This record gives sequence, structure tokens and C-alpha cells, in this order.
Amino acid sequence: MSGRVRAAIAVWRARSGRAVGQSSFDLYLGLMVALVAVVPVGRAVWLSASGHEGLAVLSSPDAPAAASLLATALWAGALLLGRERGPALRSPFLTHALASSAIPVATAFRGPVLRSGALIAAACTGAAMVVGASLLVAGLTDPVGVAVLAGAGLAVGVVAAVAWLIGQAAPRAAAVTAVVVGMLGGAAAVVPALRAVTPSGWVALAYPSAQAPGAPIALAALGLVAAVPVLMNTLRAGELTAQASRWSSATSYAAGLDFDIAAQLYRRRPQLGRGLVAVGAGRGRAGLFLVRDVVGAVRTPGRLAAGVLGLVLATALLALATAPAMPGWLLGAVAGVMAYAALGPLTDGIRHAADTAADLPLYGIGDTQLVASHLLFPALAALIAVAAGVAVVWLLTGVAPFAAAGPTALLAALALAGRLAAALKGPFPPVLLTPVPTAMGDPMAAVRLAWALDGVLLASAAGLAAALLTSVPLLAAGVAAATVVTVAYRWRHRR
Amino acid sequence: MIDVDRVDVRAAGVTLLRPVSVQVGVGEALVVRGRNGTGKSTLLRVLAGARRPSGGTVRVGGSLVDARDRRFRRRVSAMIGLPPMAPELTVLEHVRLVAATWYSDPDESRAVEGGLLAELGLDALSARFPHELSSGQTQLFGLALLLARPFDVLLLDEPEQRLDPEHVHTIIRVLRARRDAGATLVAATHSSVLADALADRTLELDAAA
Repeated sequence: MSGRVRAAIAVWRARSGRAVGQSSFDLYLGLMVALVAVVPVGRAVWLSASGHEGLAVLSSPDAPAAASLLATALWAGALLLGRERGPALRSPFLTHALASSAIPVATAFRGPVLRSGALIAAACTGAAMVVGASLLVAGLTDPVGVAVLAGAGLAVGVVAAVAWLIGQAAPRAAAVTAVVVGMLGGAAAVVPALRAVTPSGWVALAYPSAQAPGAPIALAALGLVAAVPVLMNTLRAGELTAQASRWSSATSYAAGLDFDIAAQLYRRRPQLGRGLVAVGAGRGRAGLFLVRDVVGAVRTPGRLAAGVLGLVLATALLALATAPAMPGWLLGAVAGVMAYAALGPLTDGIRHAADTAADLPLYGIGDTQLVASHLLFPALAALIAVAAGVAVVWLLTGVAPFAAAGPTALLAALALAGRLAAALKGPFPPVLLTPVPTAMGDPMAAVRLAWALDGVLLASAAGLAAALLTSVPLLAAGVAAATVVTVAYRWRHRR
Repeated sequence: MIDVDRVDVRAAGVTLLRPVSVQVGVGEALVVRGRNGTGKSTLLRVLAGARRPSGGTVRVGGSLVDARDRRFRRRVSAMIGLPPMAPELTVLEHVRLVAATWYSDPDESRAVEGGLLAELGLDALSARFPHELSSGQTQLFGLALLLARPFDVLLLDEPEQRLDPEHVHTIIRVLRARRDAGATLVAATHSSVLADALADRTLELDAAA
């Protein structure tokens, strides 16, 4: 850090004096979080990895390919994440002051980039060491194998950190690169011969059972690190300031448990497709709103593609969950959350209808008709995704389509209803701020969190209930009833 | 057309609008004035059916106010803050969609959208998305959505907000035309220019308070 940067940060930090004892409290908080959350989770991870089932997975012949796919997903995700929130990030004013000064960006933002990179690298190294250590304890590798795997984990983390920075420095190129990385990673996982010439393949080769050195991935990481200063100096002041402001607003909303508004800040705005006719004449009401919603979704193609793909994957996961010998409840819950998230880009019309229904009359049709008209597009998209997901699982695993059709259709319907409930959700009820002291402490913090995350919780319950539809049909009835009651209550109190 | 009889609004022991009575006839423009906090927006909310009065009655076209009643929805068009906008639709598509839901004849709908955007000086911006509009353009766009539908009563809360003097005169011209065509107007404003140009009568809430 240069003297000028240090001086600027010193001025920023001195703007408000820290209360006496704040550092001690921070230390206490850190220790308590470590004891209450980090240690038990770490222990659970180790027990899972070193148990019989964990070892069976980690030592299976498919483990190297799975490791390469994970690395691929991490790199592609880092590239895309950098477009929205990169590692070169300080508070909005400090970002503006430093980015518009004569100090080189590489110098001004070295600290946050190094810290972010170190965090990812440490996480990846730690994960690799857990895998390596569990294989070592079971006698499936030697210390050298663990060291190679840990080194590969470090390299994967370093590549991810640089990919994150690339996403921030070159947002457009990063989107294309992410697609290429994904395709190469998928190809390397399926075709072993490609592993010697692809970065994700090098990760697979560093896996203990692969019996190959991990030098290529380490060299790739070193090569990318050398490009970091150049990348940092291509960061533009406007983009840095915009990212810093958005992140600051999003964290403020998230701290206030308003996750929907925080997420809205990162919703892509349309730039394309003005020439497409979204609202034409002579289509009838259903056709009018269907075409309007389809064209509206097409105008943010990345969001639409992610939504459709996510919906197909969620359906496929749920179809898989209905197969015997699968942890159905877990896969179902994950599929529920995925379906709920994937429906987000497909339900812009529902959100607009809910906003309109809660406001002064604008359209010449009733609120119920307006919402029903906007339900058409996501319902049709969900129907197609259900068919596609069930077909994919049928072709790949042989799970009978008729067995999976009911649960997947139920999940699609409940996730869509959950989206409607989320669109109708009003502001935070002040009554939830009331403290309720009990002998076990104040449960209202958990209630507030449940209120903030009710959409996700309801979706995971819907996925779980759908996966267990045939064995515990009452659970599905209960979740469906809860969803319907939530929608009805919010609809009644919309205005 | 509008009959407000001793209407007041209170919330949690706080008076938001002191008792007020006023009548507005067909084709008449009432301008509501007063300092911040005297209840101008609250009165408009009551007229639009977005807020129940604590006391008194409001009738529009002889019927009690009910925002969910079809005839009331058709009769009253109100802008109290900006209306909801869809980020994925252009300016023209917004106006076209609103018009298409009110007019069954496509030709009538097209005539409304074309004339309206030109009248408000928005025709050059018709292909823009809402996030590509300036603050003043967004205000005009909100007004366009309001005028794209049929109405007998127009309720406006500070329509001059965010507008430069030239565009304030634009909306004066547009609103006068609606009043002259028989619409009843109620507008709350801090603008003397707008009030002087538009008002047939003025309701001073400071005086009422």
C-alpha cells in the first residue's frame, strides 16, 4: 500500500471514533461465532468426509471428474460474479476518491483484492486438505498425495480469484469466457483424454487416485497471478464506484432483512430487443399478456437462460429424488429452492401485477384478472421445464417418467405460488420487532429471519413434500395449504 | 361530481387531515394548496379510495368511494406518486398496454397512445426503457400512463414535481385540455404557476387547518 493510499484510508477510518470496548466485543463475537457455528460445522464436514459413505464418494472412480466439474463451476461462477461484485471493492466514497485520484488502481485497490484472493485460496486449500486427509486416514493415499491435492486446491482458489477480477475488469468478455470455461470443463469431465490439455482436467489429474502430478494447474495459476496488476489497471472508475454503491445498498437492505430489495439491485436491466413487439393489437387478453411477458423475458436473455436451465435442473433433481436409494428429502429440498430461484426471471410480470394490484388502479381489468394473465407465461415455462427435466432423467437414469411427473408438477405449482406470495409480500411488520423474553432467550430474532426468508423456506418445504409425495401425501397437502393461505392472506391485505 | 363532507383522517392519535368539506363539479378544476403536512396527499388518497377517512363521507359521481368497484375504477384516474412501471417494457409499450386493457377498439387505443406521447413530448422517447429516462421524463411518463385510460375524474399529487418550467407549461396545456373536455380535476400543488393557470377554485388546507 502506498503512502498516499494509507493516508487516505487513515482519514476515512478516523471519521468516527470507535467506542471504547468495541474491539474487545468484536473479539468476543468472533470467538463465539467460531465456537457456536464454525467448529460444529467443521466437525460435521470432517465426520461426513471421513465416514464410510463420504469415503465411498471421495474414492470412487468418478471423484476426479467431479473435482474438475466443481473447479469449472467455481471459475465460471467467479467470472460471472465479478461482473456484478468484483474483489476490488471499498466503501463507495473511498472508492470514488481513490479511483478518481492519480493513484494507480492496482495500488489503491491492492488490499481488498489480496484479501479476497487469500480468502478464496484458503477456502479451496482447506476443502482439498479435508478431502486429502480423509483419504490419508483411510489409507487410500500418502502424505505426498495430500500435499499435491492441497497444492491443487490452492491453485484452483488462485485461478478463481483471478477469474473474479477478470469478471470485474472485463464484464463482457467474462460472460463469454464463463461459457467457454463451462464447455471445456464439461468436455474434460466426460472425455478423459482431454484432461491433459484443459485446466479443469489438470485438477482431475491432481486427484490422489489419478496418480499424476499437479504441476500444470499450479503453473496456470502462477501465469494468471502475473496478469493481476495489468487487470487491475484496466478497472474503470465508473464501474468501481457503481459496484461499490450497489454493494453498499444491498448489504444495508440485507442487514435490515429486506433480501428481495437487495436482490433487485442486482437484477439486469434490459438493453436489447426494443424492436420486438411486446404489446400488439388483436391478440386477445391472454395472448396480449403472454406475448408481453415472453418478449419482456427475452430482453434479458442471460436471466431467461439461467431461469429456464435452473428450472430444468431443479425438475431433474426432483425426478432423481423420487428414485429408490436416493436421499429424497435432501434432493427435494434443494430442488425446491432451485425451482423457486429459477422462477425469478420468469415472474417479472407477476411482480408488476402485484405492484399494480397494491397501487391505484391502472389497467382496465380487475386485479385478479391481471395476476391471472401474468401467471400464464411462467406456468407454461414451468410445464415445459417439467417435461424436459423428467425426460432428461428418464434418458440418463431410467427413472420412470410417470413416477416423477406428479412430484415435479406439484413442485412447479407450489414454487410458482411461492413466487406470487413473495410478490404480494408487504413491508416488514413492525410487530415482529417486539422483544419476547423467555427463559431460553428472545425467539423473535429467529422469527424475523424466518419472515425474511419465508419464500426460500416455503420452497424447500415444497420440494421436500414433493419428493415424499407418494410416501407422505399429508405433508404435501399441508405445504400446499400453507402456501395457499399465505397467498390468500397477502392478497386480501395487498392494499 | 365530487362531494367531500366533513372528512378527516387520524392515525394512532395523530391528525393527518383536519375536517374538510368541498364540492367539485363536472369539468371543474380544484387546486389544493397548503404547507407540507397539512394533508394534501392524504385528501387525494381518500378521494382515490386508497385511504379510508376517519370521519365524514366522500362521494364521487354520487357513489361512495370504493377502489375495488369497477365503475369507480373506470371513473377515477389518480397519480399519487409514480405508478408501477415494468422495467422490461418500453415507454410506448407501457402506454399501449394500459390503453389496450381499457379500449376494446384497437384503432381507438392506437389513437390514444400516438396522440398522448406527442402531446407530452415523449414521442422521441417511445423506445426507451423506464431506467433510461431522466427524472423529469419519468414524471411525464407517469402522467402519460394516467392519461392513456378513460376517466371522468383526474387526481394529481404535485404533477409539477421534477419538471423544468417548459415542461410545467406542457402539463398545464395537457390538463387544461382534459378539463375543457369535461373531466373533473383535483390537483395538489406547491406551484403558483400551475395553480394560477389551472384552478377554477382553490382549497387552502392551511386555512382549513
